[in-house]
Amino acid sequence: MILWMHEARLLLRQRLAVIALGLLTVLTMAALAAGMAEISRQRAAIAAIPVAQAEDIGAIAAWVDKDKDAGSAGYYSFHPTWDTPSPLAFAALGMRDVAPYILRVRALGLEAQIYDGDTFNPELALPGRFDFAFVLVFLAPLFVIALCHDLISGEREAGRWRTLAALPNGGAALWRRRTWLRLALLWAVLGVPFAVAAAISGVEITAILAILLLILAYLLFWAGLSVLIGRLRWSSVANAASLAALWLVLVLVLPTLGHVAINRAVPLEQGAEIALAQREAVNHAWDIPREKTMGRFYASHPQWANSAPLGAAFHYKWYFAFHQVGDESVSDKVREYRRGLESRDRIARGLGWVLPSIGVQTLLTSMARTDLAAQLAHRDHIHDYHRRLREFYYGYLFRDRPFGKADFERAPQFDEES
Amino acid sequence: MTEALTPILIDDLAVTYGNHQVLAGLSLSAPAGSVTALLGGNGAGKSTTLSALLGFVKASSGRVSVCGIDPRTAPDEARRHIAYLPENVALYEHLTAVENAQYLLALSGGKQDRAAIAAAFAAAGLQERGWDQRLGAFSKGMRQKVAIAVALLREVPVLLLDEPTSGLDPRATADFNALVLAVRGRGTAVLMVTHDLLGAAHISDRICFLECGRIVQDVAAQGPERFDVRALHARFAAPAKGLAA
Amino acid sequence: MNAAALIARDELRLMRRNRVAVIASALLVLLTLVAVASSWSHQRGIEDLRARHQHAAERAFDAQPDRHPHRMVHYGTFIFRPLGALATFDPGVDAFTGNSMFLEGHQQNTANFGDVNQSTLLIRFGQLTPAFVLQTVAPLLLIFLGYGAIARETERGTLRVLMMQGATRGAIVRGKLRALGMVALLVALPAFLGLVVLTATSGAAILPTAAIVLGYGTWLLLWVTVIVLVSASACRSRDALLTLVAIWAVSVVLLPRVAPDAASVAVPLKNRLQTEVAIARDLRRLGDAHDPDDPHFSAFKRSVLQRYGVTRVEDLPVNYKGLLAIEGERITSALFDRYSGASHAAQETQNAMVRAVGVVSPAIALRSLSMAAAGTDFAAHRGFLEQAEAYRYDLVQRLNRMQADGVTYADDTATDAGADRRKRVGARNWEAMPDFTYHAPGGTALAARALPGLFVILGWLGLAAALLAFATRRMGERR
Repeated sequence: MILWMHEARLLLRQRLAVIALGLLTVLTMAALAAGMAEISRQRAAIAAIPVAQAEDIGAIAAWVDKDKDAGSAGYYSFHPTWDTPSPLAFAALGMRDVAPYILRVRALGLEAQIYDGDTFNPELALPGRFDFAFVLVFLAPLFVIALCHDLISGEREAGRWRTLAALPNGGAALWRRRTWLRLALLWAVLGVPFAVAAAISGVEITAILAILLLILAYLLFWAGLSVLIGRLRWSSVANAASLAALWLVLVLVLPTLGHVAINRAVPLEQGAEIALAQREAVNHAWDIPREKTMGRFYASHPQWANSAPLGAAFHYKWYFAFHQVGDESVSDKVREYRRGLESRDRIARGLGWVLPSIGVQTLLTSMARTDLAAQLAHRDHIHDYHRRLREFYYGYLFRDRPFGKADFERAPQFDEES
Repeated sequence: MTEALTPILIDDLAVTYGNHQVLAGLSLSAPAGSVTALLGGNGAGKSTTLSALLGFVKASSGRVSVCGIDPRTAPDEARRHIAYLPENVALYEHLTAVENAQYLLALSGGKQDRAAIAAAFAAAGLQERGWDQRLGAFSKGMRQKVAIAVALLREVPVLLLDEPTSGLDPRATADFNALVLAVRGRGTAVLMVTHDLLGAAHISDRICFLECGRIVQDVAAQGPERFDVRALHARFAAPAKGLAA
Repeated sequence: MNAAALIARDELRLMRRNRVAVIASALLVLLTLVAVASSWSHQRGIEDLRARHQHAAERAFDAQPDRHPHRMVHYGTFIFRPLGALATFDPGVDAFTGNSMFLEGHQQNTANFGDVNQSTLLIRFGQLTPAFVLQTVAPLLLIFLGYGAIARETERGTLRVLMMQGATRGAIVRGKLRALGMVALLVALPAFLGLVVLTATSGAAILPTAAIVLGYGTWLLLWVTVIVLVSASACRSRDALLTLVAIWAVSVVLLPRVAPDAASVAVPLKNRLQTEVAIARDLRRLGDAHDPDDPHFSAFKRSVLQRYGVTRVEDLPVNYKGLLAIEGERITSALFDRYSGASHAAQETQNAMVRAVGVVSPAIALRSLSMAAAGTDFAAHRGFLEQAEAYRYDLVQRLNRMQADGVTYADDTATDAGADRRKRVGARNWEAMPDFTYHAPGGTALAARALPGLFVILGWLGLAAALLAFATRRMGERR
């Protein structure tokens, strides 16, 4: 223990070490604060939904109530869905800044609605967010390098190496102790503020511990790299330069190459094609006999097949039916698109096993539920909700039940847990 | 004296770096309370001998033992018995003299109380006002005194010195020599690698001349006046065969 | 050969003998080539895809059968944002803005299917483009090759030897600058050549290309100057290296991320839900076409009847429902413009704040310069959105006008079995509708937008040069 105290004193008397640790503390806390501010902004936006929604639906209900037409109610009512950030989201904002976390949907064709984005400034999103994941993945390795690159070479260059090595406890144990001390300090500087922020945000203790371990593992990787480079007995300068070059390659260059490779390996052109095809299918309904559309609709929704036949006048049940048929007509394309997204995600996760930078980012965003998988799961929730919503309106439309003011309140509410 | 207690014992030691034979059958032993000087030209194998005692290099044949311990197989155990001062004693410049001593003592597993350190500093001739100064401003002689004080505190049976007086002014050299004799007086075996024949002649019990990795001349003496300095100097100053090779 | 040239030659020879340096430079050139090639093929792929989709969308629109004009308002049209040629060099926000947009009546849709929404989060590490290589990677290579230029000589004492042999301080610094400048040129050359070939083959304007070459040239020159400056001021080469890597990390990696975060906190954007609800609220206040007693639409009706000198809408020579659609669209579009204008203005404010930080971090200035010249910045995207909205408004109003003139009020309100047939207008009308053509900003405009960034980087270069001149005079004084 006394040896550790001595090592700590030795380290903390070095200006470079103190500046580095201080700077990393400030950066970590700033990133945590920025992440928490962003997440609380998102929570506030989600919390503000009911008020805005009540105003909007209230106005629609007021005039729909006159005719009690369920079709108008369904056509004009937008129902909010949202993706509440997980407690851990503040640490890794992931895709939450570019993927909409609030989306209002109607009981009409979902494929024309679900890819809509929210307002965001693309120029601000371009460089990436300043969150804890960024500090850990991008910046922390630079601090490990700054503190560990000259562990042995520095002593050799200062002429102390032989003095230390000639001491009974001056061998490998000394360098291990010094490496671990630096690691422990960096870990504390990253981990303690994180753990506090996570505890405040209500993250489960197991998740906090898992991430603390992840931080340690990532730091260990970089410290290990420093030790390996140190073994080559180069000068401190050469160590620093080669470690920084490794950092550049592992953290910046290879992930960008990986991105290019993944998008090349799994081309995704279907996105816009879904929208184009769905819109053709939906609008085509105006040009074919309405019975044909209804037949297709009843085939997939037999529970409504005994609804009264269509008259000469416009009826909203036909309108809702052809929207649904339009959605169903592109379901193959949607599945293909989804498969493409999932295989892109799978490859990226696979890369994470090879590249620690990607691995840590992937793990953090997947634990924080801010990655592509979480986005797709959220889309599934919206799909479920949309189905409930349609069936709610179908219950009025296909049975010709009047839709009054009170019925607006009976509309299913979005539930993230479902 | 039994072999186990002989502080420094080197027997027919051979060391090769790649194809280059640095030590070729070197034998040397130093009893407790003695000063042995190791002289020789550049590349004669002086520093390698110290490295072998510290367990830094591997013997291709022969035997090394420090107080009966093989420094290669049990380096930490052997180093517990050795204090070593490199040619330039470099310590931590951003720590004070006392802090440096505390740190080195901690690393050697010794006691680190301030009173003992102060006593050792005083014995080593370090001015009291320098004790709590950062080492950045210390001269080589002062830094050596800190290191010697640590060696004194550790009460080790073996003290290895690598060119201790090169770069010291005559006054500091005299101080240092006095200190070495004091250490010898406490029963320590001192092995000193040096270029300084005259200085060595003053304090050594024995002077060994190294050439091409083996001892070519071994002069034992009871006092400096017994050495034929002139003859030794002529031999020492002649172009070393090891260097020419 | 003068002293500076000799020193430069010496320095270059030293770099050539350094195997790591040679490998690193070769890798960088390779990376640039990969970036140019992959970016080029990626952009070509996007361009082809968008052109194909655009073509398909236009054909589909033209091929619609006889329809009620209002059906066509809802059938709408898809437009795809074409990319400028220089997007290959710096795609800017393209991956973050959607590339397809659905235009329809009384609705302003978002641009969808941006790359970022269909890519893994690897995209957030940055995109491999020539711009990325020159902005981010090249300075680091220059640092590795140049940190020791003078610090090494100071450390080993060879600086004094050089000076004693008659080399002036100025000549030494100039020589080192020249050597590192040669490396910078070598590093930039593949990207610049790619850019020139691109400009020549795609018929892109010369001025933006010139702005990009000038901007990146100055950027690399700035790094060369800063590297020599730090190297001249540091006592040890390790200090020089750590300082330079720290400067790089802060200015190139950290600040470009922190500044946008600060800007988005300072100027919050209204989200889509709030905007839509607010628009609906304003619409209710302005007038509700569904409400027969609505003051605005009652007044509108009165004025129309008055204009045509009739008392009933049935007697109007035009279809009143068409006129109502035109009026409704006019009101909603005005609101859309107001809200999107406010949102765009807020985003411009955010970007202006980030650009202000560019005064501290020239990397941000370079990024804005590069995107502005390539026509891939927010301003260019906004231009596209505004043109799209103008086109949408024009298209919808043409269709509404067609409803007013081509469908009778009696038919339009009829609900008998044959009414649907009578409401429709001929399919040939759809071909007559103009297609969307995106008017990209001209070369001069793009270059002009790049100027502020260029000035910032030039200012930094001037400052660095002045500091270097100062440091040169003090070089070799210590120790």
